[in-house]
Amino acid sequence: MVSPELLLTAVVFLPTLWALFTAFFEPKATEAIRYFGLFGTALTFVLTLIVLWQFNPELDVKETHAGYQMWFQMPWVPDWNVNYSMGVDGISLPLVVLTGLISFLAMLASWSIEKHVKGYVILFLLLETGMLGVFLALDFFLFYIFWEVMLLPMYFLIGIWGGPRREYAAIKFFLYTLAGGVLMLIAMLMLYFNSGRSFDLITLAEIGQGNIAEYVFSPTFQIAAFILLFIGFAIKLPAFPFHTWLPDAHVEAPTPISMILAGVLLKMGGYGILRIAFPICPYGAQYCAYGIVALGVFSIIYGAFAALAQTDFKRLVAYSSVSHMGYVLLGMGVWKISENADDAVYYWQMGVSAAMFQMIAHGISSAGMFFMVGVLYDRVHHRDLNKFGGIAGLMPQYTGIAAVLFFAGLGLPGLCGFIGEVFTVLSAWQYDHMLAIIAAGGVILTAGYILWTIQRVYFGPSYKGPHAEAIVPANSRELLVGYVLLAFAILFGVCPNLLFYEMNPTIERFVHQVDAGYDKALEQLQAAPPEGVETTWIP
Amino acid sequence: MGSTGETLRNLLTLAWLLPLIGFLVEIYALCWTHRLSKAPAYLAVGCIAAGFVCSFTALMTWGVQTDWVVFQSTHHDEHHEGDHHGEQHHADEHDAETAHVAEPAKTDEHHKHAEKAVASAPADALAATHADHAAEHGDGHSEEHAAKPTVFAGTFYNLGSFGPLKISLDWYIDSLTLVMFTMVTFIATCIHIFAMGYMQDELTEDYVDHEVHLANHEHFHRPGRFYRFFSFLSLFCFSMLGLVLAGNIFQVFIFWELVGVCSYLLIGFYVERKSASTAANKAFIMNRVGDFGFLIGLMIIWTSLGTFQFFDSVDAEGHTSQVGLFHLIRGTTGEMQLSADGQQVLLQNEVGELLTAGENLRSIPYWLLVTAGLGIFAGCIGKSAQFPLQTWLPDAMEGPTPVSALVHSATMVAAGVYLAGRFYPVFTPEVLLVIAYIGCITLFLAATIAVVATDIKKVLAYSTISQLGYMMLGIGVGGWGAGLFHLVTHAFFKSLLFLCSGSVIAGCHHEQDMRKMGGLWKKMPITAATMLVGVIAIAGLAIPGSQAVLGETFAFSGFHSKDAIVATALAYTKLNAVHGLLFLAPLVTAGITAFYMFRLWFMTFAGAPQDEHVYDHAHENPAVMTGPLLVLSLLAATCAIGGESGPLYKLLALSEAVPAGASTAPSSPVTIVLPTHGQVHAVHATAGKFALLAAGLGTLVAYLLYCRKALNPAEIGRQFSGVYGFLVDKWRFDELYDFLFVKPAHSVGRWCQGFDKVVLDGVLHGASSLVMLVSTWDRWFDERMIDGLVNLVGQVTGQAGRSLRVVQTGHLRQYVMWIAVGVVVLFAALFTALPK
Repeated sequence: MVSPELLLTAVVFLPTLWALFTAFFEPKATEAIRYFGLFGTALTFVLTLIVLWQFNPELDVKETHAGYQMWFQMPWVPDWNVNYSMGVDGISLPLVVLTGLISFLAMLASWSIEKHVKGYVILFLLLETGMLGVFLALDFFLFYIFWEVMLLPMYFLIGIWGGPRREYAAIKFFLYTLAGGVLMLIAMLMLYFNSGRSFDLITLAEIGQGNIAEYVFSPTFQIAAFILLFIGFAIKLPAFPFHTWLPDAHVEAPTPISMILAGVLLKMGGYGILRIAFPICPYGAQYCAYGIVALGVFSIIYGAFAALAQTDFKRLVAYSSVSHMGYVLLGMGVWKISENADDAVYYWQMGVSAAMFQMIAHGISSAGMFFMVGVLYDRVHHRDLNKFGGIAGLMPQYTGIAAVLFFAGLGLPGLCGFIGEVFTVLSAWQYDHMLAIIAAGGVILTAGYILWTIQRVYFGPSYKGPHAEAIVPANSRELLVGYVLLAFAILFGVCPNLLFYEMNPTIERFVHQVDAGYDKALEQLQAAPPEGVETTWIP
Repeated sequence: MGSTGETLRNLLTLAWLLPLIGFLVEIYALCWTHRLSKAPAYLAVGCIAAGFVCSFTALMTWGVQTDWVVFQSTHHDEHHEGDHHGEQHHADEHDAETAHVAEPAKTDEHHKHAEKAVASAPADALAATHADHAAEHGDGHSEEHAAKPTVFAGTFYNLGSFGPLKISLDWYIDSLTLVMFTMVTFIATCIHIFAMGYMQDELTEDYVDHEVHLANHEHFHRPGRFYRFFSFLSLFCFSMLGLVLAGNIFQVFIFWELVGVCSYLLIGFYVERKSASTAANKAFIMNRVGDFGFLIGLMIIWTSLGTFQFFDSVDAEGHTSQVGLFHLIRGTTGEMQLSADGQQVLLQNEVGELLTAGENLRSIPYWLLVTAGLGIFAGCIGKSAQFPLQTWLPDAMEGPTPVSALVHSATMVAAGVYLAGRFYPVFTPEVLLVIAYIGCITLFLAATIAVVATDIKKVLAYSTISQLGYMMLGIGVGGWGAGLFHLVTHAFFKSLLFLCSGSVIAGCHHEQDMRKMGGLWKKMPITAATMLVGVIAIAGLAIPGSQAVLGETFAFSGFHSKDAIVATALAYTKLNAVHGLLFLAPLVTAGITAFYMFRLWFMTFAGAPQDEHVYDHAHENPAVMTGPLLVLSLLAATCAIGGESGPLYKLLALSEAVPAGASTAPSSPVTIVLPTHGQVHAVHATAGKFALLAAGLGTLVAYLLYCRKALNPAEIGRQFSGVYGFLVDKWRFDELYDFLFVKPAHSVGRWCQGFDKVVLDGVLHGASSLVMLVSTWDRWFDERMIDGLVNLVGQVTGQAGRSLRVVQTGHLRQYVMWIAVGVVVLFAALFTALPK
């Protein structure tokens, strides 16, 4: 058993260390730098797998720290009560492993980057540290630091290695995320000053759920904090109407960065909602649940319609992400309070599990789809859907993999996308019939735009665009990336329980705790506020 | 008993998974063999043939288990019963009979009514019930389908569980499953073998596709894709068998979608043809429209009933841990229990007791159950190409003909009917009425289009839609057995017909237009003869009066099954007179069917050759293609032997879970009474005569028009050009849907896109412009006002300094004077300002 301090710190900071080493490379030694970076991401992936291996989902909750395993805490800025605190549970673990995997594959896809390879690899590795830190941090301040740390490398990766409108896209991305970050900062300070100056997510959740007598987050306070946090995370997710940064960022970002963006970054929004917004503000979450579900459903339909209208291949995939992440919101929000709450809470548990599953599934399928677009773009240097065709004949094996990955996005049974989409929709009926029906209608639109895309790009007798001579079958590096994603898409599609097994105990605890937290807040709302307890907004 | 269940499960699982293994090996054929190799085809045939052997063995095992009840007491006619109260008596009488079957449950008083649970392992629970021994113990008032069907079921593995909610992959084996398995694997084997001949021209490095039009008017060349065709066929077989084996409705949905995607791959096999890929998309999306309804049905069932499983799951101790859907809704007697006001369906457990939740009875609102049924049936509409989602099936003929035979006539499209039959216990009479009307509209509509179609495959496609409509109608009017009976017989004669058409197409070098054929029976005698068998079977012709001689009517399979449906429809309309159309439409359509099928045969094989070029090059196909035709024609002729007293029907009827004769809830806005078997039987002879008359008339008209040329069909078409054009345009559904759905969807998509660009980004850009404006102003303010102020202060100070310079004279006297003045002023100020 490796000490958790060492293991989790290594997971987060190994890429930073690698970035530091990379700085000493001769800039012209591009191939060496690439292999070195690849080795770093591979090593990080192995470390995340060790975390997976050390994690025991069936461990009795009493033997864990409030459900977190490998938990540790050490003072960082004692004056402000900021701690260096990390740990994993069933919600963060799959995302940590996903980050390790997608980073590795994205680095493998980075061979097409020709410009300033050294700078690229350094920034890439710093980005990975930020992402892993976000998923592992259990101190709000630390979480916020990692959240912002990840922003800067991403800005440069889009702004320097991007397409023609890269500056616009990078600034748009930066400003949007920063705006979200500011909202989160306000909420963080609100929580900090109302909790006896604590940034500890576990303590904050305990207070929010009414388990600590000294401090109370009043219902109005919870609603305000939840809305601030939710908007902050919804921008990242992205949910309508905060999504317009995504298509631009994706279109301009280089292929591997698109993979990271779709595969990991979007999940931070969903993760933040589950890790921070829901447990700390149960009353606020329940208060806003209908809005969350409605926003999710609207994003599903809106994203699918917008995807139908695209002529840029990458933009289409980007909008499909908006649509697919809508299922995440939908699943999280189906929290119905009713008389026979015993039953309803299980449907909500199913919704949350399915939302988590959808995040992982989307991480695999959308990263795959972006990679598949990138493989074509590397050859013909355009993405106009109307100027493709006949790729199936020219690149048969690549087309096979691409078709399966697109079908995973379409939600075909046996592939990962199906479980996430259908389980969220199944859990939604008990919450609201109308919204569930609209969400189910998404299956038609999704089939429409994906099949139409496949037809326009891969089918037909001949290629209609420029650089026809450059279309050569996929090389072994590209096939490797494709097959790994394909294998995971099939694995999780056929045996979804592999993933549910890791997440189930945590999510079951999560829904019951948050549910109980809501009940307590409700009691408090009905009774007069107890004497001597701080319930004001500002200290 | 448990071991039988395990044997059946192992056999069918093997039959199910073999094609999947075949698919995986075949799709990488180029890695282990070369493009011209037939090995992938041999492998595919081997897998599916082995699957057939397994399925058939399973069927035999089943037969032994049930003491070959299907071959005993074929004297259906002697039971002149009719009151379905008899069922209750019957079930009671056979308690003793059923108890010896399932030993472990013997002591359990609750399991009296035949439901026996045998637990071998938690994950592999076997719920087994004993078969109908009505035949052995036939007595005065026994009704044929009264006792519970024998079912073996269990779980493969868990997909996900959330508290008490569990979704898993299950298996469910009853006689329907076995018949479907055997039928699917057998037909698939025949078609695989046929396809080895039909797809021969793909065995090349340079395949020229004449259907593809390149910009430079050259022919399109590509490598052959023989192996890929067979790998897709194998994948399809895997999906279809998985669908049949599925033990819960969610699993049905999984494989439902998978057969959909296989169909997509096979329709779009010639991916270079725009028409093929468009047809593939259309098929998939139309099916998804149905699946949208399916999903809503699933949501309702999942939320209201908390389970998807058909059967009761049993835990390690042998207790029922979760009651299956069928028992929840129907209990053990097959009757729904309604609440006093008729608004709720009360849920029952495995022994027919009402379930409680706390102090209340567990129930599902009646309207919700109706909605769920309609939702699930919407899926069936899509898959079985029923009105209004029928338009994809004719387009699906873009696929190679063996695909049309296997996927789009015999198996996949039949999955919708299969599901309607499988899910029958959950359907309320209102849902059945909808099913009946959908089937009724479809069968008539498709038959009218088939009359004017000239593409040989299109005629068959429309006839498939029409026949599927018959099956739906049969199920809808309460003829569960009749509908599924027709499903099986249709699978045989329609696969035969399609393969015959494939043989014709291959023999005529990919000519599909019947107007260019004629007289081909001389060139292809085997094809012509076998196709005639199929045509007679589908037309439902029989030899009148043969019953007196042979003891039963001499006819091919289609007659028996269609007869059963028409008879049920007649009995139904007698009980529910307002729905008379449900009998008239199938009767009239029986005539139309006979007409267009004989029209097809006459146009193709009889008369004089219409196109010398086609005729001269036509040839009979090799044995690899004609062999399957002969085998299938034999089965098409004989599979339904004995009609409703024959083994096939009785085998199917063993799985009939719900007694016929149900009626709607008193609170329901419509009143429907479903006919009992006795009532159906009473009108059987009458209905049979009508149907035969209609078929005979249709045949006669076809003979006069297309063989004797008594009238010129083209002339008739011109005279009724309005109707003719309307039919040729397929009732203009495609245009309607394009106008109603496709174009609006694209418009909404563009609006969303525009909204993003104009409104959302507009707001963003507006905000950023505003910020720029503010900052510009800020800069101006900074530079002009703040800096100006500072500069002003500086300037003023400078000015002041400069102006004060004049007083700095250097004269000492002047300075002293200033000091003195200053002191005086200070003192004055001090004394005036200081507080007293």
